[in-house]
Amino acid sequence: MALLEYLANGLVFSSIIVLGSIGLSLIYSIADFANFAHGDTMTVGAYGAFVTFGAIGGITGGILSLPLGFFIALLVGMVVAVVVAVITDRIIYEPLDVGSIGMLITSIGVAFVYRAIIQMGFGADFTRYDLPTLRPIEWLIPYGIRITEHDVAIVITAAVLVVGLHLLLQHTDLGRKMRAMADNPDLARVSGIRTDRVKLVAWVIGAGLAGAGGVFLGLFNQLAPRMGFNLLLIIFAAVILGGIGSVYGAVLGGFLIGMINQLTPILSDIRLLTDFGSYVPYVPDSVGITIGIEYANAIAFVIMVAVLLVRPNGIAGDGEGA
Amino acid sequence: MSLRSAPGEFWGNLTKPEQGVTVLIGAFAFLLFIGLVTGWLGPTYFLYVVGLAGMYALLSFGLNSQWGFTGLINFSVAAFFGVGAYGAALMSGNTSPIAGDYLPVFGLVVALILAAVLAVLIGVPTLRLRADYLAIASLGLAEVVRLVVLNEREWTNGSAGVRGIPSFFEGWPLLATFPSAMPGLEILIIPGSPIVLDSSFWRALLNVALVLALAGGSYAVLKRAHRSPWGRVLRTIRSDEDLARALGKNTYSFKMQSFVLGSLIMALAGVFYAHLNLYVSPGDLDPITTFYVWVAVILGGSGSNRGALFGGIIVVAIREGTRFLNEIMIPVGISPVRYVPLPFDVAPLRLLLIGVIIILVMRFRPQGVLPPQRELIWPSSIDDAAPERPDSGVRDVKAGEDNE
Repeated sequence: MALLEYLANGLVFSSIIVLGSIGLSLIYSIADFANFAHGDTMTVGAYGAFVTFGAIGGITGGILSLPLGFFIALLVGMVVAVVVAVITDRIIYEPLDVGSIGMLITSIGVAFVYRAIIQMGFGADFTRYDLPTLRPIEWLIPYGIRITEHDVAIVITAAVLVVGLHLLLQHTDLGRKMRAMADNPDLARVSGIRTDRVKLVAWVIGAGLAGAGGVFLGLFNQLAPRMGFNLLLIIFAAVILGGIGSVYGAVLGGFLIGMINQLTPILSDIRLLTDFGSYVPYVPDSVGITIGIEYANAIAFVIMVAVLLVRPNGIAGDGEGA
Repeated sequence: MSLRSAPGEFWGNLTKPEQGVTVLIGAFAFLLFIGLVTGWLGPTYFLYVVGLAGMYALLSFGLNSQWGFTGLINFSVAAFFGVGAYGAALMSGNTSPIAGDYLPVFGLVVALILAAVLAVLIGVPTLRLRADYLAIASLGLAEVVRLVVLNEREWTNGSAGVRGIPSFFEGWPLLATFPSAMPGLEILIIPGSPIVLDSSFWRALLNVALVLALAGGSYAVLKRAHRSPWGRVLRTIRSDEDLARALGKNTYSFKMQSFVLGSLIMALAGVFYAHLNLYVSPGDLDPITTFYVWVAVILGGSGSNRGALFGGIIVVAIREGTRFLNEIMIPVGISPVRYVPLPFDVAPLRLLLIGVIIILVMRFRPQGVLPPQRELIWPSSIDDAAPERPDSGVRDVKAGEDNE
């Protein structure tokens, strides 16, 4: 019974991770560096929506217990994240001439600046969107699943965004250029693709999705200046699992890491070889894998390192898709 | 500029950035001296800050021997620092859940062993990885270490941390009783604000002596290592790993040696911290410590030990300097003047400063303020004597400006 609940939670959490990991992967392949400010870009989006929602309030109407105002706030949050990311790229990353490691280190500085400014404006404490707390959906409770309509909204919106990106990549000229550039930037440039513009689009898409992920993370948990940074390593784990540079790999990796993360409590429910201890000295009687939920992130990091060792190109391989 | 015409070959041998840093440090030291004399800065607190600066210098030395020598992007500094601190604390602290009340020297040995084991454990899977993957993977494994320290209560006391850590010189002949044996002194330079030197001052003095010994020892070892054939291999790996391999060097083994060496020095800093602070908690393993140390090394100049020292001092100046902002009151109103604290929290200001420094250094001076000077074609080295004339060789190119 509990399994269904964990799976449902995993689906919701996965949606958030997927939104974050697509952008990280895109920027990794097109701007060619590991962007440590990506998590804090999510935070920027979340607080952008927070301010907007506070200002316009819950306009009546809306779906899944989310007022229309919230969806407007979501859009504004995405736009804020995009504007901030594009401005950062123009004034900080673009003039740099330090190679991908230098860019990585610079992006840590950028992450700190984002977080510091948010903390100055909103304090270090947790806040939440001014929405009523929902009860779990009634008809799912008999199945042991306790999710709210908000959770459903997160999954549906994330699915819409991912499908939209898929259509963009596969069926538009721009998408083809992006895939070409992720594949081989030099070849793309000599083929006449305006790589600057493609890079800009990558930033827009990546930061926009990150902003949406941040807004949903705030809806799923709470808002805090560290929220995005805390998620960053998990998103890296997802991107590496899926294979850096592959958008579809990022989706798959995000889904798997989100699921594994929420399924961690199952480990302590399993009781392997209950009598084991009576035969072997120094082993407690019930050798369950007593790894609690507090190690959920640690498991993701260990998976990340294991994937890097065994298959550095990730499960989706290299060079397929954008 | 008038200073530049000052006589003395030493001064003439410095590059412009070196001269600038010397002037800056001189001015800063003068300011601290004024603060001490006027009683505005307590001598015990001053020594605490000096100890902290020494600790950051030690951490920077450690990272420098990994990143500056070998080019390893180690983002798990906080883990080694924390393991050093916890090794010392768990052995000597009286609230330690496993051992406790052992001599601090014993704690030092345990901490070093723990750090070496952890270095091998983290190094084995990560050191084969590409540079940026190494950064991400080591940061992830450092988080795993932090989670273990936070959650394994029966081993580490969990979030409560370990208290009751004695001073490092506990149990030593003479030095153990030195602070209480020294007389309390009162020095009166400016009437009305005497400088009090009590036993806590002498204790702090011992701490400073300890960190100076640790940092001095590490510096000597690293300097020797840097010049040795071993160090040359490391620098070859940094600039071209394939070349090193083609020369028949087992680069993985050399990287591991460099990684363990640096990690041991970081653990030394952790041991010192445990005996300076007398309390350790899982918060000490927060990734922010890693980034502080990175700022110190990048700012100082990768590969340069004096740069690491300079960076360490700047980081402590930011960390401790921003504390004073909490006490600054700004006057508001005119006839009934009220004093209010600054309208924002200081913690984010510290973060902002660190972030801005990283960005500015990478943008305008990616080689750092004090890059290595005695290396002709980086990273090969001419070591021994300083070049005879200041305006020769690669230094002008590095400094980006000529001397006249």
